[in-house]
Amino acid sequence: MKKKLIAILLAGSMVALTACGGGDAGNTSAPSTDAPATDAQGADTADAPEAADTSDAATDAAATGELTDGKFAETRHITVEVYDRGNDGGSDPTNNMYTEYIKKGMLEDHNVEVEFVKVPRWTEVEEINNLLAAGTAPDICVTYSYPTILTYADMGGVQDLSGYVEDYKSELTNLWDWLGETNMYWDKDPVDGTIWAIEGKMAVSNRINTFVRKDWLDKLSLQAPTTTEEFEAMLLAFEENKDTLLGADADKMVPYSVSFDVGWRAATLIESFIDPDITDKEYYINGYDDRKLTQNGTKEAVRLLNKWYNQGLMWDNFALYSSGDTTEDDMIKAGYVGAFTHNWDYPFRNGADSINANLQRNIGEEAYFIAIDPFDDSKGTHTKYVNSTAGDRKIFFPITNDEPLASMLYLDWISDPEHIQYLQIGDEGVTHNVLESGAIQTVAATGDPIMNSGMNIDYTITCNGLHFTDEALTKLSQAYNYAEIDPDVVSEADKIAQTDAVPAKNVNVGIIEAEANIGDTLSAKRDQVYDNAVIASEADFDSVWDSMMADYLSSGGQAIMDERAEKWQATFGDADMLP
Amino acid sequence: MAKAKTSKPAVKKKGVTRAYWKRYWQLYFLLALPLLYLLIFKYIPMIYIQIAFKKYSIVQSVWEMPWAKNHGFEYFIKAFGNNDFRRALRNTIVLNLLDLVIGFPAPIIFALILNELCFKRFKKVVQTVAYMPHFLSWVIIYSLAIQLFAPGEGLVNMLIERLGGTSIPFLNDAAHWIGTYIGVGVWQNFGWGSIVYLAAIAGINSELYEAASVDGAGRFSKMWHITLPGIKPTIVVLLIMNLGNILGSNFDRPFAFQNNLVMNVADVISTYVYRTGIKGLQFSLTTAVGLFQSVVGVIFLLTANWLSRKLGERGIW
Repeated sequence: MKKKLIAILLAGSMVALTACGGGDAGNTSAPSTDAPATDAQGADTADAPEAADTSDAATDAAATGELTDGKFAETRHITVEVYDRGNDGGSDPTNNMYTEYIKKGMLEDHNVEVEFVKVPRWTEVEEINNLLAAGTAPDICVTYSYPTILTYADMGGVQDLSGYVEDYKSELTNLWDWLGETNMYWDKDPVDGTIWAIEGKMAVSNRINTFVRKDWLDKLSLQAPTTTEEFEAMLLAFEENKDTLLGADADKMVPYSVSFDVGWRAATLIESFIDPDITDKEYYINGYDDRKLTQNGTKEAVRLLNKWYNQGLMWDNFALYSSGDTTEDDMIKAGYVGAFTHNWDYPFRNGADSINANLQRNIGEEAYFIAIDPFDDSKGTHTKYVNSTAGDRKIFFPITNDEPLASMLYLDWISDPEHIQYLQIGDEGVTHNVLESGAIQTVAATGDPIMNSGMNIDYTITCNGLHFTDEALTKLSQAYNYAEIDPDVVSEADKIAQTDAVPAKNVNVGIIEAEANIGDTLSAKRDQVYDNAVIASEADFDSVWDSMMADYLSSGGQAIMDERAEKWQATFGDADMLP
Repeated sequence: MAKAKTSKPAVKKKGVTRAYWKRYWQLYFLLALPLLYLLIFKYIPMIYIQIAFKKYSIVQSVWEMPWAKNHGFEYFIKAFGNNDFRRALRNTIVLNLLDLVIGFPAPIIFALILNELCFKRFKKVVQTVAYMPHFLSWVIIYSLAIQLFAPGEGLVNMLIERLGGTSIPFLNDAAHWIGTYIGVGVWQNFGWGSIVYLAAIAGINSELYEAASVDGAGRFSKMWHITLPGIKPTIVVLLIMNLGNILGSNFDRPFAFQNNLVMNVADVISTYVYRTGIKGLQFSLTTAVGLFQSVVGVIFLLTANWLSRKLGERGIW
């Protein structure tokens, strides 16, 4: 009897335990169990585009008829994606003083309730996949990857925005004013007129710079290099004088540092090897991504990197660490690195944790990085391929979004210069000070007012870069925008980033089929070509480059180039330049 | 589970069945939950195998997705036409075979050596130390490997250079990488793997050893003629299970260890599926790859099992 009782008790507790486990299981298996629900929703919203179509013919007034003074009669609810960067001391990206500001404003202005959904910054594509498949993707989604959006669109997971941007135009003045036709229509298909995504705007077109340790130049009485030869001589000088510069840590010196992403981290060098007179057509055909792998001078640029690597001027281990690893940053902050290439403002970012602030704290006031412009091209200029106004974040609505008007109003609200300005600088005395000149200086904050992303870029999804109501003030404040960084150093970097700048052009010849469904595969291959070529022995360089390149091309690279050439021909005929 | 099963065929008559159920129902009741677990988490998800034969859509249910071209085999054809997949397939087989050849005997040898130790306490300490690495995640092991083996600033290479040698590219040259990968795998697993063999050795009748001693057998011949045959069934079962896994691969180990310089030998099926399927959004293609991998795994398992029965061993079922 007793035995039986124990058995029943045991069995009972097991049921209870699995029931508890069941709660978790319910959560994790949500995507699959939710799938049928998605269909129901999908079926519902499948009608939405039709509705938009019918209203196409109707007037603006009819399309936005549900609004009085821009407000809905009944409160609507939308969800908006926001990146979770998991930064030290950061606040909850879905609930802090800035989200409150947005929520309050949207409720007052449009009677729309906004809810933020966080998505981890470094795995955003995977996360959005899951959300889309589960039918729980935010109404307003943001990503940097247009091919990803195309893939979703191909599966029927994305709404065509072309109807909305036209029909609701009268209610979207801020959005249209800020983005303009350029960005609104950037991704418009020239054939069927669909718009799968709207391009957020870059207020600053700066892209990359090369940086060097000012104090090392001074110690060795060197001038900032202005040609590639001078740059090489400088690296050699760093290496020869490593005992003077680093003392006991001499062994750790890295004169020129790159990461596994060589195409980006040596971009200034690589771009200087491209023929400055390159035609739009050639640039476009080879322009699948911005790492310039197949452009006409890249191989020679990498040959030079290969030489430096074999001379011991670069970091042995650069290829062993992958995206998001901080080892290289830590080396730079510790003062072992002489020069590197990165985002035009990289050493200034993150206030007290910026590279320059770290160096000045750890080594001395005189130790910091300055921007230089060392790589001359065949014409003696310093061509840099900078951003156009587009090419930043892309905003799209998943098919499950059944509040397109409310969502468009959100984009409009977030593009209001006043709202952008508040989100970028916050409150006076807390996140910024007003200087005598009137310039606005950013101050690092902690606690709730902390900005999880520089200038709250994650909230101002239609805007990347400083943008105030007053343009003159924007210009004036630019250099003061980096907490704890000397404004002169920032201005100089800004100036260099714009020297001989060539803005990217929009070549819109319709969807390149070969680019859909490629995703990450090709960019991973590209990095492998670069990395293997850099570390090859000098004798093997050509064979390594050629064989790796053949693999890249046969894995889809050539198909993309061929299709791009073909569509260029179809759209622009024999012209080599854009009209 | 096994007990309940083996006693079942003995029951035939109705009256006996009732008595049997009355007596053993608790056991079946306890079994129900694990079965439910298997059903929910292992069998129901198999519905989604269809994705391999259909054009995946993120918004449609799996039943509504249209069939892929070529009678549903479009993605299988595509996979075998894909250089990266063929490379991943080759690497998976090569790395797993090496793991099998080098990694499989290691715990057996270790267990045999350990068994010969006289000091009980020392034996225990060695055993514990040896199986500790099993509890480290591959990410941590990779960090250790970088600290030790990285060119330039890795501890081992610094030592080699100080002693006048040239540094060895443990992690950034294809051939060396394979060595490091296999070596670290053996290091992580041999201690843990030896536990099963030690248990099997403990089960060998000690009279056999005594008799052998009387007959004048030395240590080595006792090991060869008693211990090894004693654990042979265990060895065979584990070998079969390992063979079933020849196309399978765990994800963490290759993913943590691979880098751009060695992708040519380091990309295996699991990492290929992750990169192409989950990051590259080609779900149908990678489901097809996964299905292929599983089917080959089952074939290997069945063949190995059949073979071992043929050779007079027990097999795993």
